[in-house]
Amino acid sequence: MGQQEQMLEEAGPNSADDVKLVADVLSKDRKATAEFVSRYADCVYSYVRRRVMPNSAAADDLIQEIFLAAWKNLGGYRADAPLRHWLLGIARHKVDDYYRKRLYEVDWPEGDDELVQEPMVIPRFEEQLDSISRDQRIHRVLAGLPEAYSLALLWRYVESRSLREMAQLTGKTEKAMERLLARAREHFRRSWIHAA
Amino acid sequence: MPREEDREFFRIFSKPDPEVSEEHAPTRIKARVYSTLIREQQKTGHLQSISEIEAKGHSLCVFEKLVEITPVGEKTKSRFFCWTCHARVAAENIEKAPIFWPGCPYADFQKP
Repeated sequence: MGQQEQMLEEAGPNSADDVKLVADVLSKDRKATAEFVSRYADCVYSYVRRRVMPNSAAADDLIQEIFLAAWKNLGGYRADAPLRHWLLGIARHKVDDYYRKRLYEVDWPEGDDELVQEPMVIPRFEEQLDSISRDQRIHRVLAGLPEAYSLALLWRYVESRSLREMAQLTGKTEKAMERLLARAREHFRRSWIHAA
Repeated sequence: MPREEDREFFRIFSKPDPEVSEEHAPTRIKARVYSTLIREQQKTGHLQSISEIEAKGHSLCVFEKLVEITPVGEKTKSRFFCWTCHARVAAENIEKAPIFWPGCPYADFQKP
């Protein structure tokens, strides 16, 4: 039994297309490579864009990196998961790397801790807007925040990373990360109200 | 960290799974990703020749078809002809570029 047949047998009938596509891409079939991009670019794009908004240039670069990494590791794909999940696994690592590097590189705004102490009414965001308007507003608000704030919010609330993980991955203390996130939430909330 | 505040922010950023609500990637991104992958594939040797690709049942674009019927070796038929084609340049730089060649991957990326 050849390697492709063995992979198919292990993966079940639903993965047959994926296995054939992978074999064709690995044989450097340009049409299969186009099909690979065509079939999976949308899901990778959706995943990445939501996590790096509003930085669309970063999204473009990350998508290229994800597909390049996929090509370099495609020989190791064993069809024990659908190709889409395998690709999104690579995407998750790349997005984590992006947060980690950017949070390490950008300046963290300081000196406005007093903002966090102020009692404020938390707006019930999701009750105010339909999902499209909400997404547009989130996008607009994040675009107006210092990058460190938008990165911290996205990493925590979209990727569901814990403070401990975020601190470890960026080489900061948990306390510093908590302060950053508190300020980020406060600025987000204020901008959200002003963006109404 | 105040738990209610944390929950509130999880709610605002929550969205259906991308598998449920998938956005379409811009066509120029698909075109660039495809060109990048082909360039990477070329770094480790020739691409599959267009004769082999046609034998598998894939359609060729008019330029690939011309090369395919020309009496040249397989090595020549393994080149990435799109590199010199205006369709690639247009697709990589213009969203929904007006290219309509049948069998052209860059034209196929423009389809909804």
